[in-house]
Amino acid sequence: MAEAPLLELRDLSLRYATARGMVQALDGVSLELHRGQAMGLVGESGSGKSSLVLAILGLLGKGATVSTSRAAFDGEDLHKTAAALRGRRIGMVFQDPSAALNPGLTIGYQIAEPLIHHRGSSERDAMARAVSLLNEVGVARAESVARSYPHQLSGGMKQRAVIATALACEPELLLLDEPTTALDVTVEAQILDLLDDLRRHRNVAMLLVSHNLGIVDRLCDGLTVLYAGRVVEQGETAAILARPQHPYTRGLLAALPRADHGRIARLTPIPGGLPDLTRPEPGCNFRARCDFALPACAEAQLLDGPAAHRVRCHLADVVAAAPPLEDAAPAQARILPAGTRPLIQAMELTKSFRLGAALSLGFRGGLPRLTRNAGVLAVDDVALHVARGEVLGLVGESGCGKSTLGRLMLRLLAADAGRISLDGEIVPAQPDTAFRRRAQIVFQNPDSSLNPRQTVHQALRWPLVRFGIARGAEADREVDRLLELVRLPSSYRSRYPHQMSGGEKQRIGIARALASRPDFLVCDEAVSALDVSVQAAVLNLLADLRDRLGIAYLFISHDIGVIAHIADRIAVMYRGTIVEQGAAAQMLAPPYHPYTEALLSAVPLVGLKGRSAQRTRLAGDASSVPPAGGCRFAPRCPRRIGAVCDTVAPPLRMGPGGHQIMCHHTMETLAALPPALGQAA
Amino acid sequence: MTRYIIRRIASVIGVVWLMTVMVFGIVHLLPGSVAHMILGEFATADSIALLEQRLGLNDPLPMQYWRWFSGLLRGDFGNSLTMERPAGPILIEALGRSAILAGISLVLVAIIGIALGVHSAVNRGSSSDRALTLAQYAFISIPEFFWCIVVILVFAAWLGWLPATGYTPLAEAGVLGWARHLVLPVVTLTLGLIAHVSRMTRSSMLEALDSQYVLAARAKGLAERFVLYRHALPNALLPTITVLAIDMGLLIGGIVVVETVFAFPGLGRMLIYAIDNQDLPLMMGGMIVVTSVYALANLAADILYATLNPRIRYGGSAA
Repeated sequence: MAEAPLLELRDLSLRYATARGMVQALDGVSLELHRGQAMGLVGESGSGKSSLVLAILGLLGKGATVSTSRAAFDGEDLHKTAAALRGRRIGMVFQDPSAALNPGLTIGYQIAEPLIHHRGSSERDAMARAVSLLNEVGVARAESVARSYPHQLSGGMKQRAVIATALACEPELLLLDEPTTALDVTVEAQILDLLDDLRRHRNVAMLLVSHNLGIVDRLCDGLTVLYAGRVVEQGETAAILARPQHPYTRGLLAALPRADHGRIARLTPIPGGLPDLTRPEPGCNFRARCDFALPACAEAQLLDGPAAHRVRCHLADVVAAAPPLEDAAPAQARILPAGTRPLIQAMELTKSFRLGAALSLGFRGGLPRLTRNAGVLAVDDVALHVARGEVLGLVGESGCGKSTLGRLMLRLLAADAGRISLDGEIVPAQPDTAFRRRAQIVFQNPDSSLNPRQTVHQALRWPLVRFGIARGAEADREVDRLLELVRLPSSYRSRYPHQMSGGEKQRIGIARALASRPDFLVCDEAVSALDVSVQAAVLNLLADLRDRLGIAYLFISHDIGVIAHIADRIAVMYRGTIVEQGAAAQMLAPPYHPYTEALLSAVPLVGLKGRSAQRTRLAGDASSVPPAGGCRFAPRCPRRIGAVCDTVAPPLRMGPGGHQIMCHHTMETLAALPPALGQAA
Repeated sequence: MTRYIIRRIASVIGVVWLMTVMVFGIVHLLPGSVAHMILGEFATADSIALLEQRLGLNDPLPMQYWRWFSGLLRGDFGNSLTMERPAGPILIEALGRSAILAGISLVLVAIIGIALGVHSAVNRGSSSDRALTLAQYAFISIPEFFWCIVVILVFAAWLGWLPATGYTPLAEAGVLGWARHLVLPVVTLTLGLIAHVSRMTRSSMLEALDSQYVLAARAKGLAERFVLYRHALPNALLPTITVLAIDMGLLIGGIVVVETVFAFPGLGRMLIYAIDNQDLPLMMGGMIVVTSVYALANLAADILYATLNPRIRYGGSAA
């Protein structure tokens, strides 16, 4: 391109002071972004990608020192002009719209604010413009939304409002920091479509920070991969993802569980962790984790190559030529012979939560009147079973009741109705110690589920003593065995949670659940808080434990890639009911429930850019109120038949191999739906 | 919002009513006869019987309670035993003087406390923030009677600038004379509370300044002053309002001490007098007034909180 770049950064470095010394958060980062171009910035937590965005805006705190050899926006020095560009020519969209909107101001005012301040618009004109901006980003009933406060809106609606704010002064550059990470996958798909549309029609340049390669592939033509503050690979997205030349990029791709690749035996994690940023490594900073490392890697590496594909690795040719890391042999999903007795079985499980007080004071016809508050049905008449050594994956969007179901299965929450049996024996509402021993849970967030005042040894020893499995010296040996099981050295026994990384903490969480030698394990978003490279290692570990110990899992996740990778059977949940259930392979191809179809087609996949045309999109979000008595999914369903969906509860349709779909469509109709993952079934 | 306010008012009424039961109960269920307590240990049986008759102490307790409570509803607090006149006007007069003290103190605490808290938060880690932090801890931990003695020694005894005790009404002494008697009690009352409020404001302001929405406001290119006062401060003030309401309780406690030390003829000193002289109607009335003031202050705080916080003003989700 002959045109001068809109954003040009040369050798941007960022250092800031911490208690441990100076941290080199960014080291010589260069990038160019032209008008209308979208560049993805990818890396795991700690890579410095969010810091780079704040550095561009000049919004890093006082302790940070930024140095560049050139930083220009539209030819002008960014150091001098950043304050004048913010909100005017550069818009910013943050990760979590719930946190980025001021809870005390109306949506309309927050969108209008930049106009009032930068354009001198009157408050009235600015508010009118805010409403039309909301319309432009696809918000229905924009007037009433503009008058609302953030807490009254859903996550997707809030993120649209944040995008509208960023667009208010018609910026030439949008900085997007994980703009969809806090959103559900069907809402994420809507937002990604909106962003793509903005880029095409307004010629806005975008710098998209993400840990999700699928999203970057969907939106961006350029890609920059950051590792520990350095650019390791940069160029055209398609070229890099098709043939990564840096071992780190290659590792990221191999560690990613991908719904479209179905079930593969093992993911390939990247061993080790981030280097110490207080002591910058003069040579390649990835070499300690690299399979290709040679003594020559200790020398400084340069980002080298044609503009379309630059790599910071002297072995780029070797890496590119190496066969893909992925274990190509697909693993056989266990399909249990018909008539196998399930280990744990739940029937007619129901749980409702009351919001607020049981009675509320209302006024009807001028007279005060007490009314009973109806509860919200979180889990409605659900039947599930898991066999020994089987993984049942449970997917659904936030608020669908999947975590509640997990806790009901363990009797950690009291069910309103329903039965649970383990090995054919009914589990009472207040289960005994024997049930607690046999059924355990791994939580999502290892930071909050481990007691910060307990060492690993204490955390692991307690269940051993509590359940009478071992005591004294035997218990100490058992702690070592548990650590070995989750592949941590026994030196970790004296560590406290804050002395471990996220992945290590999650392993301790798993070890603690395994201490009582359970038969059944609920993993509630057990890998969601982890980076891909670590997630791969934990997923492999869980799969091995299933194979070695024959544990049955209820694996709860919102990530369809993860579920597709690990589950033998999958259940899809929507607003408290299971709408579809069946063997993993059946779930990923037609026939499927229209909701499953929408979920699958919303997943951003790597290397499948072309499939967006045939995607099914859901309107609204899971909070759309369903009609009483009818199908819960009817208000959002793209395949709605008619009034019957609103008034009559859908029948449970049976397919081969225990496949169940709750829908008014027949199995034959559903079988004719297009493949959502963009490949032949 | 209307429903919320009605609920709050209903609960305040409930609390005050419960207090009438407790105050009445404590006074009447104590061992020993009330008449005996009033007349002292050398009273004759006849005079006790006579007084019991006069006070209606032989009636069943619920009837006595109802007599007292229905009186309260009509604004009749009964007669003061020692002053031989209705307790109501005495209480109102004392309450008025204390209200001046408390009102001025509360306004000063709110303004100075919030201003110092915001200053500390904005200049986090600066030398003025550190100096303020040190002073705040000192004033929170040292009780007000110590400051009473210090200010009396310095300003009344040593410098002789201000009177140590007493009170003159505005109408008699003019603004200056009236204010001269208020300075020392107000200073003593506010020192600890300013420290407390500024401490809380500092931490809630720091939280607001570290929030994503403040970062987002900066990314919108708004002027720093505007980011502070339009985006950070209103959210940071919410916890401060709750703290101010709680501090009303501390203030009432402080008033009792300060009025006694400075011989200020307010509600606190009157309560001490009533207790010392076994003046039961005055004591019960005083306690009810104090409780009502505290309950009303919390009601005001709740309503203010709701007005500033749209999550309460418009509950639930819309759109």
